[in-house]
Amino acid sequence: MNQLTLSRIVRKFTRNRLALVGLVFVAAVVLTALLAGVIAPYDPLAMNFDALLVSPSATHPMGTDMLGRDVLSRVLYGSRYALLIGMGVVVLQMVLGGILGLIAGFVGGVVDSLVMRMVDIVWSIPGLVLALALAGALGGGIWVMIIAIAVTGWGQFTRLVRGQVLSLRELDYITAAHAVGAPRRRILFRHVLPNTLGPVIVYTTLEMPTAILASAALSFLGVGAQPPTPEWGALIADGRGLVGFAWWVSTFPGLAIMITALGFNFVGDGLRDVLDPRFERRV
Amino acid sequence: MLVPTLVGVTAIVFSLMHVSGDPIRLLFGPNVSEEKVLEKRAELGLDKPIYVQYWNWLSQVVQGNLGLSIHVQDRVGRLILDRVGPTLELTIPALILTVAIAIPAGIISAMRPYTIIDNVSRLIALFWVSMPYFWLGIMLMMVFGLRLRILPISGRGGPLWTLAGLKSAILPVLTLGLPPIALFTRLTRSAMLEVMSEDYIRTARSKGVRETIVVVHHGFRNALLPVVTLLGLRLPWLFGGAVITETVFAWPGMGRLLVNAVMERDYPVVQGVVLFIAVLTVVANLVVDFAYVFIDPRIRYS
Repeated sequence: MNQLTLSRIVRKFTRNRLALVGLVFVAAVVLTALLAGVIAPYDPLAMNFDALLVSPSATHPMGTDMLGRDVLSRVLYGSRYALLIGMGVVVLQMVLGGILGLIAGFVGGVVDSLVMRMVDIVWSIPGLVLALALAGALGGGIWVMIIAIAVTGWGQFTRLVRGQVLSLRELDYITAAHAVGAPRRRILFRHVLPNTLGPVIVYTTLEMPTAILASAALSFLGVGAQPPTPEWGALIADGRGLVGFAWWVSTFPGLAIMITALGFNFVGDGLRDVLDPRFERRV
Repeated sequence: MLVPTLVGVTAIVFSLMHVSGDPIRLLFGPNVSEEKVLEKRAELGLDKPIYVQYWNWLSQVVQGNLGLSIHVQDRVGRLILDRVGPTLELTIPALILTVAIAIPAGIISAMRPYTIIDNVSRLIALFWVSMPYFWLGIMLMMVFGLRLRILPISGRGGPLWTLAGLKSAILPVLTLGLPPIALFTRLTRSAMLEVMSEDYIRTARSKGVRETIVVVHHGFRNALLPVVTLLGLRLPWLFGGAVITETVFAWPGMGRLLVNAVMERDYPVVQGVVLFIAVLTVVANLVVDFAYVFIDPRIRYS
């Protein structure tokens, strides 16, 4: 990717207002995660039995939970977990699914059918159901959850990369590289891999909110982040039985998840228009 | 196509039990003599090589025997069958709700592409895909169940045809059916946009066919194929959503059975439910494949 195309991409992206709004959301969440220790008014784990379930006020803008912990501070710290878990899942999926897709598309033949059959098999078990069963089997916790979500959701990356490789393989410059006697490994890494990047970046951005939502769901169900970790899904679970008289405990973490997911979705949507015009619109 | 997929799926489900640790220890807890463990292991056939164990398990499963629950003294098959009905009571109406709103909405927004309505619907779609299901359920519960007090908060009131049953199903069905609407509206829209630029649409219009007939008969019939395909791909998500929705609303379906079994580490039940849902998904996709033949007479399976 040279300087010229890069500046064209940036120009086209910044013209998309929705994408810019998304970028602001994402930047805000990233900053929150980095600065949580500075901006959070309280310790997210500090209990205060004199202030149980206090409704939102000047001292506690998002109220307190059933152990007197400040909800705002917990929501702010939660951004760290959301981003780290989301990134962990997406990177694992990209590596696992990407490598398999690259191999399937480049080698072809039996290897290709074998890999794609594997994708079909994993695909036919609902991701969340399998991730839940797997995370539970491995004993729960954040790392287990990251692995469980990644292991059940790499298939899309494989399909994407394989499709890219298959269409690239037929192009003239690849034939030319073969003709001048370039070794296969060089062709794969110098000519094929860089050209699959556009769609992979788009898909990675769009997979981020999916991973964040899935991890929140698993934590909510009890096999992800364990108490007292201030993870958003777990925070919503904390307030679940209290919505009748303490609506704030569940409501704010949910809004935080939505803003984060929305930011990544807006950015991904904008990136798709710029980086990959052929890529089918998901929404 | 179907058989290798099912073999793969059963292998994954079978290995879940072994990933979860020693089933004997799960059964008896940590304080058990080594002798008893070995005895029980031989009794259950767990001392045999793994492929023999898989084969034995599979041949039982094929005969409909999913084994015994560790915690509840009952057959796993029975436990699941009791829960299938309530789950379908949520998933089928939710699917109907999604389709009934999304398809007309998609057609309408395809008729007015790139206008304000179109852009707003894109924005709404992105909003809904960013929404956590379980949070939506809790919010609905809070507003309609606790503030307005017009619908029950949780539990199943009875069969759908009774008033109490119907009322108790409204919030879970909305939780499960509302979020995918936006997505399907967009999908229907893009499928329609593609079809409406075809030559035969212009031909139909130039013959003087009424616009409604052009849109529904010439346009939508041909847009149906991609929509049905994506609907089929969506089915696994429906079950995933059901797991969460049933947990939020304490609905006695398969999803809640699964969550409870995972929590209690009752792995025969977990295996049974995952396998059942996977087979249901595979079968549903097969039905979608056959539906193609009716939608598009050009497709023939030999």
